[in-house]
Amino acid sequence: MFSIIEGLFTVIKHLFMKPTTLEYPEKKRYQSEMFRGKPYVKIGNDGCVGCGICKKVCPAKAIEYIQDNNKKVISYTFNLEKCIFCGNCMYYCPRGAIKLSQEFELATEQKEELKLNYKGGCDD
Amino acid sequence: MTITATTLKLNLGPQHPSTHGVLRLILELDGEKILSCEPDVGYLHRGMEKMAENMTYIQYLPTVDRIDYLAGCFYSELLCRTVEKALGIELSLRVKAIRVALLELNRISSHLLWIGAFLMDLGAVSPFFYTMRERELILRYFEKLTGQRMMYNYFIFGGVRKDIEHIDDIEEIIKILPEKLDDYEKIITNNPIFLSRTKGKGIIEPHIAINNAITGVNLRASGVNYDVRSNDYLYKNFEFSPVVINEKDAWARYKARILEIKESIKLIKQALEILKKEQSLNQNLINPLTIKLPDGEYYHEIEAPRGMASIYIKSTGLDKPYRLKWRTGSYYSVNFLRSLLVGEYLNDAIAIFGSLDVILPEVDK
Ligand code: SF4
Ligand code: SF4
Repeated sequence: MFSIIEGLFTVIKHLFMKPTTLEYPEKKRYQSEMFRGKPYVKIGNDGCVGCGICKKVCPAKAIEYIQDNNKKVISYTFNLEKCIFCGNCMYYCPRGAIKLSQEFELATEQKEELKLNYKGGCDD
Repeated sequence: MTITATTLKLNLGPQHPSTHGVLRLILELDGEKILSCEPDVGYLHRGMEKMAENMTYIQYLPTVDRIDYLAGCFYSELLCRTVEKALGIELSLRVKAIRVALLELNRISSHLLWIGAFLMDLGAVSPFFYTMRERELILRYFEKLTGQRMMYNYFIFGGVRKDIEHIDDIEEIIKILPEKLDDYEKIITNNPIFLSRTKGKGIIEPHIAINNAITGVNLRASGVNYDVRSNDYLYKNFEFSPVVINEKDAWARYKARILEIKESIKLIKQALEILKKEQSLNQNLINPLTIKLPDGEYYHEIEAPRGMASIYIKSTGLDKPYRLKWRTGSYYSVNFLRSLLVGEYLNDAIAIFGSLDVILPEVDK
């Protein structure tokens, strides 16, 4: 009997505590700097040079890029249907061109939107 | 299995809420009594072992966290350890301490989830929320440090991804956990309903457990003092005593996990001491693109939250394993249900199954 009362008392104690949940999606919680979400890549002179390391370390074969005749990368694609957000590409890119951002709400009705294509010239 | 007119064949799962993933148990019942049990696994099969044959080691590393998504660190550690030992790489003291601290934190989070889920199976809802709340603190810490809550990809060949940060967060967690554990114990441990549903249920005799290759907490709750951590090289400078309980029933397995969390807290404290003393990281990182294991066979084991986990790699000297095999604790626990559930009542089946702490991705791989 005593154990039931003790248990109930502990449960009731929790009634007066602050809630620990948030009303998502109205409120969003703090996301760490390190979070690995939607990937971005920088193409151009100070970005990707097309060394191919990211392709070699990617477990999901989610990365593809096209080079022009001068080996300059002109189009770079992350296939989010395959990507597992492991971050290997970001960690091993020698140019630091890839960044996995804090964006995590990637659900979409259009499958094509999951093929993230970045083109040289502008920071799209 | 022959079904007679008086027995009933019942499918428990694969979509039963308390089968923790997708397990199907084919039960043959006589009234409420279980005559035979046939686990049907494979609903979560992802081909983790075959997959490795087509991937380089660095490509395979991030995927092994998914073998047991509640305790991913342990499997990364095993793969890293195999490569490190094969190539003769020594870890510095600080790296070892970081690994121990994170492994034990991971173990705590896994046990916390188990306590909640097990109690939920038995019909108690509040403890689930309480344990999830504490587990959240640990997951947030992991997110801060590694970038993700469950798929860490933090241990790498020869060290860790980056030096450990926010140590005060760990200190905070291990400071509040003991009080919270007391809270759970007040609600659960002596509750008459909980006692009547777990005491004397699902008794596993030590020799039967050993014959069925049961390891981990389930084995220690049957009174066998066997903990892989005792001989583990990572834990060499750490003091700890394996939690051994003699009751052998579902209640003992619950109690053992609570005690094990306390033991883990002690280990984390020791690891933090070392981290404070040893400031230099001294990593021996290797170029991930050139990793090739020398021709031969490699085997390593570790104490994961659900029993002993081990890895076997056969290499032919290439950059990919020729064959890779994982041994996971849950697989043997599920297999053991064949004999453990016979003679028990249907309403005890979930309590007994839950008490073994099975996670299905580990079973199906
Ligand atoms: S690793 Fe970096 S620089 Fe090399 S191809 Fe990939 S994004 Fe470009
Ligand atoms: S995050 Fe991982 S899976 Fe995704 S593109 Fe980078 S390496 Fe490939």
